[in-house]
Amino acid sequence: MSVIKRLFGIVWSLMGVGIIPLVIMQAMKEIAAKPSEENWIFWSIVIVVLMPIISFSLITFGVFALKGEYDVIA
Amino acid sequence: MARDNAYQTEEVSSTRRVIAASSVGTLIEWYDFYIFGTLAKIISEQFFPKDNPTAALLATLATFAAGFVVRPFGALFFGRLGDLIGRKYTFLVTLVIMGGSTFAIGLVPGYKTIGFFAPAIVFLLRLLQGLALGGEYGGAATYVAEHSPDGQRGFWTSFIQTTATLGLFLALGVILVVRQTLTVPVFEDWGWRIPFIVSAFLVGVSIFIRLKMSESPMFAKMKKEGKTSANPLAESFKQKDNLKMVLIALLGATAGQGVVWYTGQFYALSFLQNACNIEFEQSNTIILVALVLGTPFFVLFGALSDKIGRKYIMMAGMLIAVVSYRPIYTMMYNNADLKQKTEVIEKTVVSDPKVEVKGTDTVTTIVTNKTYADGTTYNETVKTTVPLDETKKAALTAAGKLKPEKKKSVILPKEIYYKMIGFVFVQVIFVTMVYGPIAAFLVEIFPTRIRYTSMSLPYHIGNGVFGGLVPLISTRLVEATRPAPGLPPADPLAGLWYPILIASVSFVIGMLYISNKTNNMDVE
Repeated sequence: MSVIKRLFGIVWSLMGVGIIPLVIMQAMKEIAAKPSEENWIFWSIVIVVLMPIISFSLITFGVFALKGEYDVIA
Repeated sequence: MARDNAYQTEEVSSTRRVIAASSVGTLIEWYDFYIFGTLAKIISEQFFPKDNPTAALLATLATFAAGFVVRPFGALFFGRLGDLIGRKYTFLVTLVIMGGSTFAIGLVPGYKTIGFFAPAIVFLLRLLQGLALGGEYGGAATYVAEHSPDGQRGFWTSFIQTTATLGLFLALGVILVVRQTLTVPVFEDWGWRIPFIVSAFLVGVSIFIRLKMSESPMFAKMKKEGKTSANPLAESFKQKDNLKMVLIALLGATAGQGVVWYTGQFYALSFLQNACNIEFEQSNTIILVALVLGTPFFVLFGALSDKIGRKYIMMAGMLIAVVSYRPIYTMMYNNADLKQKTEVIEKTVVSDPKVEVKGTDTVTTIVTNKTYADGTTYNETVKTTVPLDETKKAALTAAGKLKPEKKKSVILPKEIYYKMIGFVFVQVIFVTMVYGPIAAFLVEIFPTRIRYTSMSLPYHIGNGVFGGLVPLISTRLVEATRPAPGLPPADPLAGLWYPILIASVSFVIGMLYISNKTNNMDVE
């Protein structure tokens, strides 16, 4: 079980890193296609609020998992 | 023996008093928070006119900022305070701030009276609401948990868990009663202020009750021994051992719980009203009845978590939600879809155009009523507003802005109405599975000295950010499937992909990394 937990740590970290270019590229594409205020607000919320939380937490969590911090949970 | 029994009876009675006093206050805070959201449309018309771009922007910010920026900030601010000076006084302060700001919203003059000050004041008051809510829940859950006996923590904290749903129920109920009593035009004119003003009375009662409560025994003991944390924020988020528990709480539990909670209650209501076009009162009562029927299950799953552990109940709730959301929403959509019904042509009534002059415009209204073989009725009101001034009219026509405003309203027959209640009720059950045991789960993974701070942040990020963004992201996903403006979306269920994705990731993380502790953990 510990091995699986650690291996998944790589998955979480990669997800956390991968989401950043994915979201930014999608935002640029959609804003370029339709630069409306609505679009700007939506992507600002996603990029400024949601993306950092998801990325930071997944990367940190993944690194902890990879290092075996979650092998034994109290 | 008799003495033991008397002691136990007294202990249970004292715990009940604590639960009642904490729950009433938390319920009122949720009520206060939800009436703003439920009356968002009217508030927007009163304070945030669309023709003023700054006011419109403030409206958007007020809706979202209170949820996902200020709530976590309130969690940190009041969490720290709660771990430094105590639970009792901290969540008393949150109650006063929430009640005061809600009452004040009900008194703020509209945009027509005081201009830009109106949206600016309402915006600030809404931020205060978010701040107070961020501090309230963690305090109430911690306070109750620290009074609960071992082996019953899931059961007792589950009463706090009912308050979010009951707060929504109370908000919808008060609004419906006031709206029906005053009639719709009066309600939209000034009657909407009543639910806000009523809050002052509710909060007053709750403050009176809370003032009589004593400090949490665990915190009081710790304070007496001088063992409280000097810097709860640093201890919570800078120390690796605690940070890793914060992350597991967020990613493995509260993020998934947040999206399931918002989908089962808010998204369901929005889907009934916008995708199925079900009439205002019918759609609201569907949610209300489902909430009432579902609420006891918070306590059931909370109590069950004392027996079989928190993890499997929460994870089961997430998994079943992920697997069944699309089938449930497909059935909801199909049951209201007029294309799948047979119209009784002879019962169709189209009114003569009603032409009125309103200010500088001519408004033409045509009402169509249709009846379907299964008893469904459909009402469509088409309003076309044309300026009297020919130059303006020509300019609007050239810009393609002379579009009629359509209001669609479907009234379901009893049989389908009950089915809809059933579909929403099932979703409320998922909510009770993920939400019922979560307070006990959160309080048990953090130590007393930093519990308020540590549990409040993941809770409010999970609910405020991941859950609070369900309406925004889901609407966006549905819009992305619309082939062209004015045409129906190709996939009206596309909005479900966001909660499904978040709950799936949360489920995998929860299953892998959360241990299935029951009530045996020492909360000290």
